[in-house]
Amino acid sequence: MAILKDYFRSPIARVGTILLLLIIFIALTADWFFPGNPLRLAGRPLQWPFVNPKFILGTDQAGRNIAAQLFHGAKVSLIIGLVSTLIAIIIGVVIGAISGFYSGWIDDILMRLTEAFQILPNFLLLLVGVAVFGSTINIVIIAIGVVSWPPVARLTRAEFLSLRNREFVQAGKTIGMSSTRLMFKEILPNALPPVIMYASVILSTAILMESALAFLNLSDPNISSWGNLVGNGRLVLRQQWYVSAIPGIAILLTVLSASLVGQGINDALNPRLKKR
Amino acid sequence: MKLFNIKQTFIIGLFSILLPFYSMADEKTPQHGGTLVVHYSGEQRVLNPALRASTGVYEVSGKVVESLVDLDADSQVVPVLATSWTSSADGKTITFKLREGVKWHDGKPFTSQDVKYNALEFWKKRLNFSTALQLNLTSVDTPDDYTVVFNYSRPMPLDLLLRALVDLGYVVPKHLYEGTDVLNNPYNTAPVGTGPFKFIEYQRGQHIIVERNPDYWRKGYPYLDKIIWRIIDDNSSASAALESGQIDLSSYSKLSLADINRFKQNAKFEVLTKGSQANIFNNTLEFNFRNPIIANLNVRKAIVQSLDIPFFTDDFLYGFGKPATGIIPSSNAFYPKDSKIIYPFDREKAEQLLDEAGYQRKTDGIRFNLKLVHINNGEDVPLFATFIQQSLAEVGINVVIVNLDTAGALNAVYKAHDFDIATGWHQYRGDPAVSTTVWLRSGSPDGAPWTNQYGWKSETVDQLIDNAATEIDPVKRKALYVQLVDIVNRELPLWFATEREFISVVSTKVHNHHNTARWPSSSWFDVWIEH
Repeated sequence: MAILKDYFRSPIARVGTILLLLIIFIALTADWFFPGNPLRLAGRPLQWPFVNPKFILGTDQAGRNIAAQLFHGAKVSLIIGLVSTLIAIIIGVVIGAISGFYSGWIDDILMRLTEAFQILPNFLLLLVGVAVFGSTINIVIIAIGVVSWPPVARLTRAEFLSLRNREFVQAGKTIGMSSTRLMFKEILPNALPPVIMYASVILSTAILMESALAFLNLSDPNISSWGNLVGNGRLVLRQQWYVSAIPGIAILLTVLSASLVGQGINDALNPRLKKR
Repeated sequence: MKLFNIKQTFIIGLFSILLPFYSMADEKTPQHGGTLVVHYSGEQRVLNPALRASTGVYEVSGKVVESLVDLDADSQVVPVLATSWTSSADGKTITFKLREGVKWHDGKPFTSQDVKYNALEFWKKRLNFSTALQLNLTSVDTPDDYTVVFNYSRPMPLDLLLRALVDLGYVVPKHLYEGTDVLNNPYNTAPVGTGPFKFIEYQRGQHIIVERNPDYWRKGYPYLDKIIWRIIDDNSSASAALESGQIDLSSYSKLSLADINRFKQNAKFEVLTKGSQANIFNNTLEFNFRNPIIANLNVRKAIVQSLDIPFFTDDFLYGFGKPATGIIPSSNAFYPKDSKIIYPFDREKAEQLLDEAGYQRKTDGIRFNLKLVHINNGEDVPLFATFIQQSLAEVGINVVIVNLDTAGALNAVYKAHDFDIATGWHQYRGDPAVSTTVWLRSGSPDGAPWTNQYGWKSETVDQLIDNAATEIDPVKRKALYVQLVDIVNRELPLWFATEREFISVVSTKVHNHHNTARWPSSSWFDVWIEH
């Protein structure tokens, strides 16, 4: 629990956590505040915020309640962020662990594969994935996960490379532990902290990537996501800027909270900062 | 203290009386010279109007290459490269007299040989829409350099041919195409024609430039020295470019409706639908009869009756458009008088029809699921898709929108037939036989876009379409189309929700604009600009 205490000592972490909790609260209460489908035709399109009490944040150009979309969108954005991060971490950790543990030709092959993914911009790969497999929300989430793992793999590999010659690993080898057990029971827990810290970066990028896809009208139009709202609002940006601005601020705050939390974890885990 | 003395008051009064008269006198003398800068987007990488029928091609190449005929302000056919025309009594032989003394931009004379070559090699074989139109063209005779005779195996209505040739009668030089690989001929992107402007340069993604043709056959024309099309695919950037004076004109509704609506308030611009009446377009609803639910007429009626189209045109389209009453637009000569909407918006009736059809709401309130593919022509298409989704949800139909790029959507609908309902644009080109009846006639090959790929076939409709296309009596022809409109309105193999006109935004510096029925596509020989 010392880590938790360290974590909350940092004001950055506190702000981040409060923001994140707020967004989780919004996501969880969406169905309670705004029951029914947030994409339904709620009223006349393009009503300004704070004009009609029925639509506090106004309506978009398809007559949908922006506040309802914002609440339901929080859920979608968080799910996109969490699930694709999980996918990226699992792929990345497995590849990085095998690569760092075995070295040699296995390492060579896996690292060339990682580099092959890394030299192409993530977003371009994502566009290709969506173009080939379609743009339902499940595919978008998987595709974001699949394009985000290379940095995790490299990070894990680096940790494994430095840890695998430590005494505790040598000791494990001597008493005849299997490679799998050594990798996942002994080395991995020690290699994980930087990966967890990095997860917050992936989470933010995942949310941004979905928004960017939606901005290009390539995300799932049957889902109320913040990106879809920003993308739709683009056409009326000069007059009804709030259609894009409101979800834009929501995206900004979510990404900011994830990154503040990540920063907090990093500070809490960093032994050099602890001494101060 | 008095503000003005009597003399000053008199002068001010005089000015305030005369000023309105001064500004009303818009008949300014045309100025020669100057450069017109025009917005262009959605490059097709083809600038040969005899090879690709599309407003996106005519917009540029219509200034360089000319057609046999064009339209005037009242949508009447007027001579361009053809000066007169006659049809034989049986309608199977149509003779054109051609304009004499016309030269191609490379100096060679324009003759009947060029028209013959275009008719047989482009219009009959390769040009979209035209291949169906010229199906019965058997041969072309050229008794002299300025006479062309078209021979048909079945009667060809003269009015149909003339109206179609406005778009499908562009002539490119035979001497530059004959004996070459026509599809890959370099002149397809560097056109040579007889028009008022000569092609200079095409930089992909950047600009297209044409310059004044000093040897143009209309003496003293054109006024402009140069036209530059700037290629701007993002419509917000294009609006900004117009406002900052970097471009003077954007036509065919290439700006966002919100921006167009804003330009109405700007005194430096005119927003008009006049001058584009030859190209009416509709938001469509296309049904896939391979799905037994859709094949049920009551379900189709229910879908149509769930959509509040006046709400859509007023509140989603800023009032740019109105509900359609059939497949022929209300401004057209073929429009059946007192056409009515047979199945108007009525949500209760829709629910009742669905119940009768045997599709009760299940415990979750949903009757059945439908897959909606939208073919992205303009910003309003995804918006209409959303509107359909929202409206059908109200009557218990769950619509899943499939988001595909244009090529993917065309493939899904017209080739793979992987859809339940589809929506996009239909363009009406003056006569139902040009590009509208193909949406209903059975027997189109798989993969032909914007044709009947719905798995729907009606002997009666096929017969009507074939008879109308060869009926040379205009009155009888119209009567056949009135029947066709009625059948389609009742059977709903396809439904047009809206009827809309293309919108242009043009700077007030530009004059003699939008003075014909298809002005953005026309040759602009008399356009001039203050400079």
